[in-house]
Order: sequence, then C-alpha cells, then structure tokens
Amino acid sequence: MQLVVSSSPHLRLKVSTSWLMRQVIISLIPAAVASILLFNWRACFVISLSVLSCVISEEIILRIRKKPSAIKDGSAALTGLLLALTLPPTIKWYEIILGGFVAVFFGKQIFGGLGQNIFNPALVGRAFLAAAYPHDLTTWIKPFHFQAITCATPLALRKFDHIIVPIKDLFLGTTGGCLGETSALCLILGGIYLLVRKVIDWRIPLSMILTVSFISSIFYFLNPLNGSVLFHLFSGGFLLGAFFMATDPVTTPVTKKGRFIFGISCGILIMIIRYFGGLPEGVMYSIIFMNAFVPLINRLTLPKPFGYAKK
Amino acid sequence: MIKVEERKNPQHNLKTEKFLSPKKLYLSLRQHIGAPSKEIVKIKEKVEEAQILAEPQARVSSYLSSPKKGEVVNIDYFNHPILGRDKMIVIRCDSEEKKYSERKDIAMIPKDELLRVIKEAGVVGMGGAGFPTYIKLQPPQKVDTLIINGCECEPYLAGDYRLMIENMEGIFKGIEIITKIIEPERIFFCVEDNKPEAIKKINSILALKKYNLASTQLVVLKSAYPQGGEKQLIYKVTKRKVPSGGLPLDVGCLVHNVATCFSIYEAVYFSKPLIERIVTFAGDALETPKNIWLKIGTLIPELFERGILKFKKEPKKVIFGGPMMGIALKNLDYPILKTTGGVLFLSDEVDFEEESRCLHCARCVDVCPMGLVPLEFVKYVKNKEYARLNEIFIKDCIECGMCSFACPAKIPIVHYIKIGKLYAVGSK
Repeated sequence: MQLVVSSSPHLRLKVSTSWLMRQVIISLIPAAVASILLFNWRACFVISLSVLSCVISEEIILRIRKKPSAIKDGSAALTGLLLALTLPPTIKWYEIILGGFVAVFFGKQIFGGLGQNIFNPALVGRAFLAAAYPHDLTTWIKPFHFQAITCATPLALRKFDHIIVPIKDLFLGTTGGCLGETSALCLILGGIYLLVRKVIDWRIPLSMILTVSFISSIFYFLNPLNGSVLFHLFSGGFLLGAFFMATDPVTTPVTKKGRFIFGISCGILIMIIRYFGGLPEGVMYSIIFMNAFVPLINRLTLPKPFGYAKK
Repeated sequence: MIKVEERKNPQHNLKTEKFLSPKKLYLSLRQHIGAPSKEIVKIKEKVEEAQILAEPQARVSSYLSSPKKGEVVNIDYFNHPILGRDKMIVIRCDSEEKKYSERKDIAMIPKDELLRVIKEAGVVGMGGAGFPTYIKLQPPQKVDTLIINGCECEPYLAGDYRLMIENMEGIFKGIEIITKIIEPERIFFCVEDNKPEAIKKINSILALKKYNLASTQLVVLKSAYPQGGEKQLIYKVTKRKVPSGGLPLDVGCLVHNVATCFSIYEAVYFSKPLIERIVTFAGDALETPKNIWLKIGTLIPELFERGILKFKKEPKKVIFGGPMMGIALKNLDYPILKTTGGVLFLSDEVDFEEESRCLHCARCVDVCPMGLVPLEFVKYVKNKEYARLNEIFIKDCIECGMCSFACPAKIPIVHYIKIGKLYAVGSK
C-alpha cells in the first residue's frame, strides 16, 4: 500500500489559478462581443492578434528561461485580451505584436513570471504603446462605420470641446474609444459575474467607484460641464480598470485595509488627471502608479492578529 | 466566506458500534500535552482492566490505565501518529470484560476527591489537544464562564455528535461535576446547527432542570470551520478575545469538549478511567464508514483483520484525525490515542495538485481566523528569513488549514508555517 504523506489540510477548495483566469476571460466576453459589434472585423483582428502575441511571447521567453510551459494557466491569454480591450480599433498590426511582447516580457517575465510582477502586464503593454505611438493610440473611430471615420472619445470631447456625450451612448457603448471600454453595460455585467463567483474582492472596485462618484459629484455641482457622476463612471477606461485591472491579484494589496487605500487612491488620481491633467483620461496611469505602492501599502496595513490589543 | 464541505453523511446517522475485544493494545506514554507518563509495570506482568499502568512525571502529565485485562508483553518504541515514534506499553488482552458498578454517593464527594478521581482516571482533553483535565479544573484565577464544546467542525468526524445523541445524560452529569468543581456563573453549551438531534436532546434536558447547573444556555452556531477552535468559540459566544499567547483563563473562560465531559462522568460515577472512546472511520476507500466505540490502544490493522472495517478500494491517503488538521500516516500500523476523533481512508477524495506560484490573491488572508497574512509566512520560509517570521506573528497561527484549503495556487501553506515555527523559535 503506497500512501501519500503530506501536511494538513487534506482537503482543498476546487479553485485553481487557471480556473480564476478562465473566469476573468469569461467575464470579458460581453465586452469583447460588444467591441466586435461596434467595430466589426477590426476588433476581432486586434483581439486575436493581441492574444496570440502574448501567448507566443510567453512561450518563447519561458523556453529561453528553461521553464515549463505556462500556456495552461491562461494568464498570458488574459493579458492579451485585456491589452486588446485597451487599444483603439485602428491600431496597426505590428503595434499590437510589439505591445503584447512588451506586456509579457517587461510586464511579467522580467520579474520572474506569474505572481512576481509589480505592474499590471496589460497596462505596461499599453503604456509602452501610448509612449511609442502616441498618435495611433489616440486615433478613434465612430462605431458601426465600415470605413473608419475618426472621432474623439467622450472624455476628450469633455475636456477639449466641452461637449458631454449622453449617458445612454456611454452605457451602451455607441461612442468612440478603445475596444473594450465603450460599453458600460457589458463591463458591469462582467464585473458582477466576477463578484458573484467570488473571483475578485469587492473592496477595490467599490472604493474606486465611491471615490470617483464623490469627487465628480462635487465638481458637477460646481460646473455641470465637468460631467456628471454617471458620465465619469461610464466613460473612458474606468469600469474596465475598476473591475478588471485594479483587481488583478498579483499587483494589488493583500490586506483588506490596503485594498481600500488602493481603490481610493486610484479614484483620486483618476479624477486629478481627468480634471487637471494634460490627458483626457488617467485610469491606466493611476493604476500603474498605485501598483508601485503595493508593497508599501501591504507593509503599513499589516493587520494586528486576533487577540492583540488595538493601539 | 469560504465554506469547508461538511462531508458528515452518513457518519452522522450511524449508530455507534462496539469493538471492545482487541487482541493486542499499544499504549503510548504520551497521549496528552505535557511530560510523558512513567510506566509502573514490567514486561510479563499481569494487569487488570482499569489498573494504572503509568503515572504522571511532572505537574502537566497524565495517568494511563489498562483498557483490558491481560499481560504486558513488551515496552518498546512504536509508531506514534504525532510524535513519529514513542515508548508504548504493549498488552496481550484477555477476552474478559470488567463490570463497573455505579457509585451512589456522588453528591457527597468533596471537590478534592473529585479532582483526584479525574486525575487518576487519566482524563485529558479529547477534542484533540489532550491537555490534562485535572489541571484545567484547578484554574489559578476565577472562571466565570464554562463553555461546553459540541461543535465538531472538522469534516467527516461524527463521534461527538453520536455521543451527544446516545449519551447526553452522561455528558450533563459530567458538566454537573465540572460545575461543582469550578463554580462558573454561566454555562454555554455550543452545538452547530448541523446537529439537530443533539439540539433536541439538550433542549429537553435543560427544560427538565434536572441537573444542578449554573444558568445554562444552549448556543446553536451556524456550522462553519474552524468554529470549534477554542479562541474562535470563546469570541463567538462571549465576544471576549483571548490575548495572543494567552489561555482562555485570561478572559475568565474554560472550554471542555463533550467527550471530555463524558469521560469525567464515567471516571466519577463508575471509577472507569479514560480507556475507551468513539472514533469515526470514514472516507471513500472504506466499504462503509463507521463510528466505533473502542479501546484506546487498538491498532488500526486489527480492525481490518477482524472484519470490522473493509476496504472498497486502495486508499491513497490515511489521515489520523480530521481532514483539516489531521496527520497523514505512512502506513496503517498506528494505535488509537485518547485524542483520536477519527481515522480517514481517502482515495479519490484527496487532491494531489502540484504547488504553483503565489498570485497574492490574498484568499489566505481573507479566510484566516486569526487575522494573519499567511502568504508572507510562505515567502519568508522560502527565502529562509526565519528571524522575520516572529514580526508577522507566526506563533499565533493555530494551523487550522483554512489558508491552504483556499489557496488557488495549491501552496501547502500550513506545511511552510510548521517549518517556519520550528526555525522561528529562538530567533528574535
């Protein structure tokens, strides 16, 4: 009789890393489908190429590092999908490939692979592209047009032209913007799915949403052209960031208090950039910026164990 | 909140069977916390059932009595599930069973005499830790709250539940004795809501007000692991927090398991030492799970040889205790201890997934009942930064296993914590 000897516990919850990644991918399906409906084949092309680029880059890097293949954990595919959803539909093919490579190599593998990275890999890829190809990353097209007719994003319209796009268009996604960020409806559906299946913790999205709501309601009260609460929640990359980027377990705090601090800080930074920054949108930079503070937040919010007197 | 599956069916509904005629018994001298007992018998000596075989060597130690009439055939080192190997007294048993007669003068027995009887009966905490009961019953400070623990939150195990269904009067008589000794102001009898029969019994006994108990209250808790943990239970019931490194006494509480109460009852009423207990045998490798009332010291293989237990398929893992905190055995040759609540034989119900990288998802942080950050322990142990483990309170870990249970990367966190605790000792 051959018996396995291992440390307790001998029961395990049937939740694995690859299951978690799959859940996030499933939750992004509505947003991905919406992007295909809105921007037709271009969206399909961007998503496929981005996923392929990330997965192949990761496999090559792992082979060079003499590490086992990690295709099964689904994390590279998820990075590719998230990256695609933050890109404009008209982006060029080589830019996608490069973005995917940078996301996986500089965003993840250079730190030692899954679980070791400091910054959200998809956002690293996008930040690189935004710096390398600023023009292509800020060219947007109108949805439902086969020929590309350029237009501006709702946030850019607010900032530079003082035009507020109707909430209905923001909710459904019939505006210019990145593939996955236009339809608030689809992102909310995905976010609810993740919360219900307990894939993500509610603390970060909730504190981000409340912070943005609070700040934008004050500014809306001062001047309606600043945009209403719903305008700020539904426009730009906010929901994509709040539900899918700022909840990445690897790059966010592990303590409960820390998650509130992270969410609130992200919300404040987003609103500072939107109101006072040179750019119309600041979700990506806010999250990357806060990613850098995660080790510090973790250390400062280390909870006092049960049975210790509160100071 | 992540919930651990109970897996208590059908054990919960299986009447306890008796197996009181083993051929051989292996009695460890360390079945309790504290100093090992010192044997007072010699090889080839004939012993009677309930005769004392070993005595305490220090203040925190225990007596050990013979579970059967027979002959001491060996005193040697043998497999011990917790300690690896330990000195054991081996007895070849006669089939004769001892008759115990009930004492009639219970109400007249003074406190000191009660304590002496409980001490000599070798009663220890039967919930798992095995702390000698007579010490717990002599608290150096005032205890105002007595908590009776009938939670049994470990999956699979059903012995405490069966004991409550089948011997509730005995448990209450035991509680009455404890009450007489420590005179608490109030008693909480805690049971989880997955034990409806026990709840019914407790309610009907409390309604009769038959026993001389301080104000006693039944507390029905929603079933959850690790509820039966002493500190967690005290907090749930009294909202008092046992300080880190402290004892329940520090917050005026005393917790006793229902099986311990029953042993106290048997010791006092029948002068019967702690030599028998209920053990749940379960798991998918067994043909049928069973709750068996058996002699302490019974070897697991004997139960198979005598046809009491049968394998349906080959077990891949055999666990001494519950699945969350129990110890995996390397073979079957281990004896039942005073603290053994169950032995599990698992085949397909175990999962052997390989450990992968930590995602920092913090599920371990969310589920830790002690408010610790388990992933940090893993990091420091892997980096051999043992000195830093104390800064993040490794000593407060109760090893309940929730962190490893919840981990999606399948990291055996408790394994790393156990290693960490060994190395953290001594380093400041």
